[in-house]
Amino acid sequence: MSDVTVSRVARVSRASASRKVPRWMHWRAWLPTTVMFACVAVLWQVVAFSNPYVLPTLGDIGSSLVNDAGMYWSNFLITLQEIVVGAGAGILAGFALAVVMAEFRIVERAVMPLVVIIMVTPIVAIAPALVVAFGFGMIPKYIVTGLVVFFPMLVNSLAGLRNVDQRALDVMKTLHASRLEVFRFLRLPGCMPYVFAGLRIALPMAVVGAAVAEFVAAGQQAGLGSLVTTSAAQANLAVTWGAITLLAQTGVMLVILHAVVRKRVLWWSEDDVTAR
Amino acid sequence: MAAAHGGVRVRHVSKSFHVDGQAVPALSDVSLSIGMGEFVSVIGPSGCGKSTLLKVVAGLVDADSGDVTVDGESVKAASAEKKIGLVPQSPALLPWRTVLENVTLPLQINKSGNEGRDLRDPKELLEMFGLGKAMNKYPMQLSGGMQQRAAIARAFVFDPAIMLMDEPFSALDEMNRDLQRLALVDFWQSNRKAVMFVTHSVPEAIMLSDRIVVMAAHPGRIAAIIDVPLPRPRTEATYATDEFRDLEGHVRQVLRDQMEVAHV
Repeated sequence: MSDVTVSRVARVSRASASRKVPRWMHWRAWLPTTVMFACVAVLWQVVAFSNPYVLPTLGDIGSSLVNDAGMYWSNFLITLQEIVVGAGAGILAGFALAVVMAEFRIVERAVMPLVVIIMVTPIVAIAPALVVAFGFGMIPKYIVTGLVVFFPMLVNSLAGLRNVDQRALDVMKTLHASRLEVFRFLRLPGCMPYVFAGLRIALPMAVVGAAVAEFVAAGQQAGLGSLVTTSAAQANLAVTWGAITLLAQTGVMLVILHAVVRKRVLWWSEDDVTAR
Repeated sequence: MAAAHGGVRVRHVSKSFHVDGQAVPALSDVSLSIGMGEFVSVIGPSGCGKSTLLKVVAGLVDADSGDVTVDGESVKAASAEKKIGLVPQSPALLPWRTVLENVTLPLQINKSGNEGRDLRDPKELLEMFGLGKAMNKYPMQLSGGMQQRAAIARAFVFDPAIMLMDEPFSALDEMNRDLQRLALVDFWQSNRKAVMFVTHSVPEAIMLSDRIVVMAAHPGRIAAIIDVPLPRPRTEATYATDEFRDLEGHVRQVLRDQMEVAHV
């Protein structure tokens, strides 16, 4: 075990020794982004000051976020809850169905057409029907958020479970490995690069899903998406853009979380199947 | 009658593949036996079915007709008892497992097949293969030659009765191949198994084998079986002997004759 750590550390230090400054401190790493942000901010302010009914100023958005922090926080928690519960269930269901489909082709033939039909049906169209069926509680929102992430998880996991190293599979077959052993030792760990590629698509979409769910299946509980619609209807642009900012932030945080976890879990994977 | 036969016995095996509704014969009436502790190389031009033959013996491809016994049993029974070791063309190590964990894998699979056999200590085996220091590294941190050696260790670890190797050194550069070849000869000479070794390198076949099976293509069939009477133990010096060179000339001639027949 210690050997491994040593060699991994050695690799890292060799890489950084070749540059005198850490990579993130180099101006090329941060300057282009900073300049870009500054340009967008300036442009924003120009439009906001000349058209106060189109865009609020950045200062207005900032002070709204600070002054009404409690209101934003409670709405954020509801949206987060939709993402955690709804997208969490959708991710697990997508992966679980992929496992069953990979093991039993007949299930794929039976279920896949149905899944495709559900997926091409606009979620926005299904949502009101879900409200009728399940009421104004959280359930329709969980379902909408879950449905959005379900498909990318299913398709990517299935591709990963199928894409096994044929020669490693041959070795296991000559050992008379059971299906469960092939799954446990080969398919499950081997599909992880694809699962993470699926998550990379599914997690940002979970935020979209939660916001859309709140638009179309408005309920007793608000959330950031509802906040956008209600404040926009009242022409309260600072709150609208405050909520949009937080929705975007939530997505960014999920993407960062994904990258961090991926790096820890998939250090062995040379090729990032996400980068396409 | 076959029950008493150790090693591998292939009798009248034929196999066709279907391409666009047409049957393309890959193997036609192939018979061959490999005795206990005998090293047999199978050599031939591409398309001669040598890999298909290996896959039939490994139980990965079913023959259309004929039968194969391993250690006197059907391939299926032999595989259930973990009597077949396979070294594929690429190392096919699992990248998320260390070298030691990769070599330990066959012991974790099909555990009921482990009973009453002489399992090796993976660590000891890796030391013998010169991978003692690399044991806790991951495959991607190893050179191609070391990865292939780990794949061979993975096949030896559960002490199978027969060993099937499918061009295991074909992806290595020539100098590395030679090194791995000599290491394999050295290890096998003190750990004799029945080996079927598919290759397309003539010196490799001569260096390693007791017998060389020359195959011809279209359809895949056995053209000649050549004995390799070179004394063992063989070392690097064996390459320089007159016997080796004469034999190499002979094998090349047989191969060339086959190729010419095929191209007329």
